Amino acid sequence: MSPRKTRLRKMEINHREVSFPEGVTVLRAAELNDVYIPSLCSHKDLTPFGGCRMCIVEIEGMRGYPLACSTVAAEGMKVLTDTAAVREMRKEILQLILSEHPASCLICDEKTECRENQFTIRKAGVTTGCQNCPNDGQCELQEVVEKVGLTDIEYPVYYRGYEAEHDDPFFDRDYNMCILCGRCVRMCQEVRGTGVLAFKFRGPLAQIGPAFAKSHVEAGCEFCGACVSVCPTGALADKVSKWDGQPDGFELSTCPFCGLGCQIELYHKDGRLSKVHPNLDPVVNDGQLCVRGRFSLPEATHHHTRARKPMLRRGKYFREVTWNEALDDVAEKLKGLKPADFLMVVSGDLTNESLYTAQKFVRTCLKSNSIDSTARDLLPGGPGLWAKLFSLPISIKGLREADAIIAVGLDSRFYFSVAGVEIRHALKDGAALITIDPRDSNLARYTNYWLQPTPGQEGAVLKAIANNIRRATDFSPRGAAGKDIAKKTGVDKVLLEEAIGALSAGEHLAVLLGPTVFEYNANEDLVDALLKLAGRKNTSFLPLYNGANTRGVLELGALGEVLPGVAKAKGQGLSLADVISSRAKPKVLYLVGEVPFFERPDCDYIIAQDIYYPPFEIDAFLPAASFAEAEGTLTNVEGRVQELVQIEDLPDGAVAGFMRPDWYIFSRLAERLNSREFKYKSARAVLKEISKTVPGYPAKPNRKPRRLASKAKLPVEKRKAPVAGTGPYLLIAEPAGFGHRGIDLSSKVEGLEELALEEGFRLNPDDLQKLQIEPGENIAISINKLTVTGPTKADAECPHGAIYYYRPVALGGLEQRANLEPLYRLRASPVKVKARAAKATGKKAKKKAASRKIPMAASTL
Amino acid sequence: MAFEPVLMKHVNVPNSTALTVYKSDGGYEGAAKALKMKPDEVVDLVKQANLRGRGGAGFPAGIKWGFLPPDREVTYLCVNADESEPPTFCNRITIETDPHMLLEGILIAGYATKTTIAYIYMRGEFTEQFHILQKAIDEACAAGYFGKNILGSGYDLECYIHRGAGAYVCGEETGLIESLEGKRGWPRIKPPFPAVEGAFHKPTVVNNVETLACLPHILTRGVEWFTSLGTETSAGPKMYCVSGPVNRPGCYEAPLGISCRELIYGEDFGQGMRDGKKVKVVLPGGLSMGALRGDMFPKNPNPDQPDPKQDYDELDCILDFDDVRRYDLLGLGTAAAVVVPEDVDIREVLVNITRFYALESCGQCTQCREGTMWMYQIAQRLRAGAGRVCDLNLLVEISQNLGMMPGLSICGLSDGGGWPVRNLVQKFRKEFEQRIAEQGADAAARRIKEINPAAYESPIRGYQAAEVHP
Repeated sequence: MSPRKTRLRKMEINHREVSFPEGVTVLRAAELNDVYIPSLCSHKDLTPFGGCRMCIVEIEGMRGYPLACSTVAAEGMKVLTDTAAVREMRKEILQLILSEHPASCLICDEKTECRENQFTIRKAGVTTGCQNCPNDGQCELQEVVEKVGLTDIEYPVYYRGYEAEHDDPFFDRDYNMCILCGRCVRMCQEVRGTGVLAFKFRGPLAQIGPAFAKSHVEAGCEFCGACVSVCPTGALADKVSKWDGQPDGFELSTCPFCGLGCQIELYHKDGRLSKVHPNLDPVVNDGQLCVRGRFSLPEATHHHTRARKPMLRRGKYFREVTWNEALDDVAEKLKGLKPADFLMVVSGDLTNESLYTAQKFVRTCLKSNSIDSTARDLLPGGPGLWAKLFSLPISIKGLREADAIIAVGLDSRFYFSVAGVEIRHALKDGAALITIDPRDSNLARYTNYWLQPTPGQEGAVLKAIANNIRRATDFSPRGAAGKDIAKKTGVDKVLLEEAIGALSAGEHLAVLLGPTVFEYNANEDLVDALLKLAGRKNTSFLPLYNGANTRGVLELGALGEVLPGVAKAKGQGLSLADVISSRAKPKVLYLVGEVPFFERPDCDYIIAQDIYYPPFEIDAFLPAASFAEAEGTLTNVEGRVQELVQIEDLPDGAVAGFMRPDWYIFSRLAERLNSREFKYKSARAVLKEISKTVPGYPAKPNRKPRRLASKAKLPVEKRKAPVAGTGPYLLIAEPAGFGHRGIDLSSKVEGLEELALEEGFRLNPDDLQKLQIEPGENIAISINKLTVTGPTKADAECPHGAIYYYRPVALGGLEQRANLEPLYRLRASPVKVKARAAKATGKKAKKKAASRKIPMAASTL
Repeated sequence: MAFEPVLMKHVNVPNSTALTVYKSDGGYEGAAKALKMKPDEVVDLVKQANLRGRGGAGFPAGIKWGFLPPDREVTYLCVNADESEPPTFCNRITIETDPHMLLEGILIAGYATKTTIAYIYMRGEFTEQFHILQKAIDEACAAGYFGKNILGSGYDLECYIHRGAGAYVCGEETGLIESLEGKRGWPRIKPPFPAVEGAFHKPTVVNNVETLACLPHILTRGVEWFTSLGTETSAGPKMYCVSGPVNRPGCYEAPLGISCRELIYGEDFGQGMRDGKKVKVVLPGGLSMGALRGDMFPKNPNPDQPDPKQDYDELDCILDFDDVRRYDLLGLGTAAAVVVPEDVDIREVLVNITRFYALESCGQCTQCREGTMWMYQIAQRLRAGAGRVCDLNLLVEISQNLGMMPGLSICGLSDGGGWPVRNLVQKFRKEFEQRIAEQGADAAARRIKEINPAAYESPIRGYQAAEVHP
């Protein structure tokens, strides 16, 4: 639907004629005309609640005192917002609200002096007044009290005496301060569509929380923080920034954690990032975020293990050096290297500027194509396929307009939850959702058809759909799915046909691809399906890969065989897969924001340029600036070139550190290698150069969605790999964890640690019973001659006959997962395996495990 | 008295819940008659009869049906059997003794409003009554009064019972709809009114049990008979309940318009007070409608010009939809009078009333949630002998905020909570002031403890220990 022009209507507010767009409430009409009506429970995104009763007004011809928030404004209405009676009544109502809110500071005679000469401890255990409330100065209630002009409360302050809730990660809840405006509940139910929060009990005992006294984690909370953002009081507060006080201001920036590129407001206090709020940006996230974007940023950049200084290995010691010393040393090592002796690995999380400078550095200074990125694994089918997919119109908001949605291998609870919100909005408008996922997911709760193929066959199901879908309402899909498809994928034939019928009825089809499907070895069917759907009218894709700038990696040529603008490179250098499989052994390995190994690979010299140290020994470390400390741009999945804003601008020093943007480090190294092509003064200058090299790339941050225009046609890689191994079970690697620049954020962000997915194998409880393994006991899995043991977990979401394990998307910062490491090295999924209960159980095994831990700990010291 | 009961004609008739007994007495004839008319003719008939809703507000049922959009596709009929106004039990008696009369009323109302599905929202505590009504529905279905093509008219109606989970606010029509939809039982913002967008976003009619029970009789006996009963603006029979220390408490049927005194002292009704006591307070319409002064006060010698400073006996109030307003009552309510004798402390009455609303407020609107709680706290304080005269003013102020003006809260619960409190305080102010004057010397000390026990005992557990949580 195109946005219709709304007609303007006229009404009278306080004897003044004003105009307002048709269909808004009186409150909104007043707001648009700069008339203040106090209100606590209304919110622009939410349906009227009418609970706080602060917005009562007088309307001519209406009985009593109607609510501005729930009365729709009409032509010729005469509204009085500030009569004596209304004012008096508002004061009374506000007093009643405050009578159950610890608000004595509001009316205290000495509040100004108290604030100035505050000598009580601010971090009080119990909030008894504004002075020790985390929301002091940012509180909507304070604002309303001031505007209404309340100076006295007739009721004694009544403290409800609930215990503050600190158990769940990320945000604290103290419902003693809650005024029961219901914004959080409506946010959770209406906008997010999760329905975790609800009202409990009634009357004066009414309280907010998940039903049946569950914790938020148990109740399925996505930890999106939308409830915290809309809370008008200090009842809900971020754990990290709770006591930072009123922020100095905020800058609009882009979330650096995934390809959706949500717009965020970075609040800063005293030059440091304090907290993150979603921006009400209408094209990407519309005021919504996921757990990573909402809560993880401050801790991700401020963690105490943050590497802030250049380091060099000198003999036995790994010690701090100056930037010049470090750069000289690194440049010396890079001089005169043969292409086969060097490999640079870049992360898909770097900025466009850094990616471009990285590939330029390798190609001009070192004269090789030995650059590779982990983004290659995130984009199966090779650059050719993705160049084609990215040249299609991709739209996140387009999901809302779709009337048929296919979601493949996606669980939007913690990952891409903004896309999940869009799906639920589309469903509300009557769209049909088909999920293709062997595992139960949070979307399976809402789906019309849940096609549950055997793991690895998602592509085949999608192909069957792509081949048979017709755009017609009266299309009968009977016979659309052959018997062989049903047999091959394990999906019920009738169900598949019904799903195809439901999809055919829709006009706009949206296809979402979750990260799980990109992990499989065989991708022929998936690639076929995507190519087929790519030619279809009114079809939009939304590939949800890990990595914030994976599209940028492809467009800017940070892969060996691709030049900027997706052109073909002459000759190919080393690749990461060569090094991992020990086919190649470079002398110098340059890791830029990426940690693709658990242990130090066999190299002479390893340079790491990152925001945290990698978990193995390195020879040189160059501290990179994080998303908050440097300017730059990121290319999101739709091709928008969105800005990262520098908000931390602290001078170099022992505490603040000596971090530099990646592109800056490359430029200085290039100078030392006698190159004159790296005279960039700012990130903007790099972007300007990119716009000259890459067709269609903007010279300034530009939030227009952009179709990729490739210079050359690259081949599409189709891998037809039969499922390896023998045995009755399928072993599937599921990408998981919260990766950023090669680091698993769960090691840095306290709350994510609680949500992080534990090591081990997850099986359906029935399978565990069949194998006679209790949940938690060890299982031995043999793949050909390799045997791996690990703990088990009963997971009813897993299909029968499948064993799932998490393959971390980032290895850095993770605890050494010694026993699963062979699996990560294997890089095969799915694999047929044999499984049995591990023999060594009981005390002996525990002892063994304990004894193994000690030398490991010692080695890390 | 020549009045022949119709709504309660089967009380004390053996096996009156059976279909055969009901049919032997002209049962389902009204429905048969209605099904031969056009739906709009039935609506007009009910409009002519001026059948006013018996649930409390007295809104004419025919006009309510007329609000339904004419081009609607689906209509739902919700029967409000969530009888939870404190001293009221007339719907229970209808369901217990004459379930088929209700079902016939549903059939007529359903036909008139072109409803295809009727839901009976039944109070959760009605266990026995649920089984009686369910049995009656099964019987009626088997006899062809519900289901497809009823009595060969081509009209289909299904009837289901939905049992509530016990909340006063679910008796409010939008609260009832929310609860019926499976949500938290609390009222919706109006507009849109249920007639436009009600249950499951479809036009919905909500009618009380007694309103529907009147319908068969309007059809069989005619509009003239109906309007001949009662007063000019309030027509028809009504089931009055009387409880308290009267000689014969119970539910009695009478034409609308008997006086409160008749209800208490009449031979056919309460038959006077037990032990010859005098009446102090009567709450004649359920708790919410307000209070009348009893006959322990002198009669007003000059009824046309009452002296506002004097307290007079108000039992001459006529219990119909309009006269009650002359005595500062909110409305007729459920016409269930609770009588308080002269030897009861007025403060006990106040505590009892405020406690009910504090516990039953749903917690959505601020004034109701906080106001009912404060009224209860202040009432407790007064009872404990720790009151002040200014507390009385505070009570009046809160109760005015609660809902003296319509539209100050989403539903009528807060109006109903505030009205009797204000009534009691204003009408019995002299007694309150006298009680306050009689308080002991330690009143001030007690007062502090009564305000906020939490401040004096354990800060966290004190609140829970307070009487707000019985």
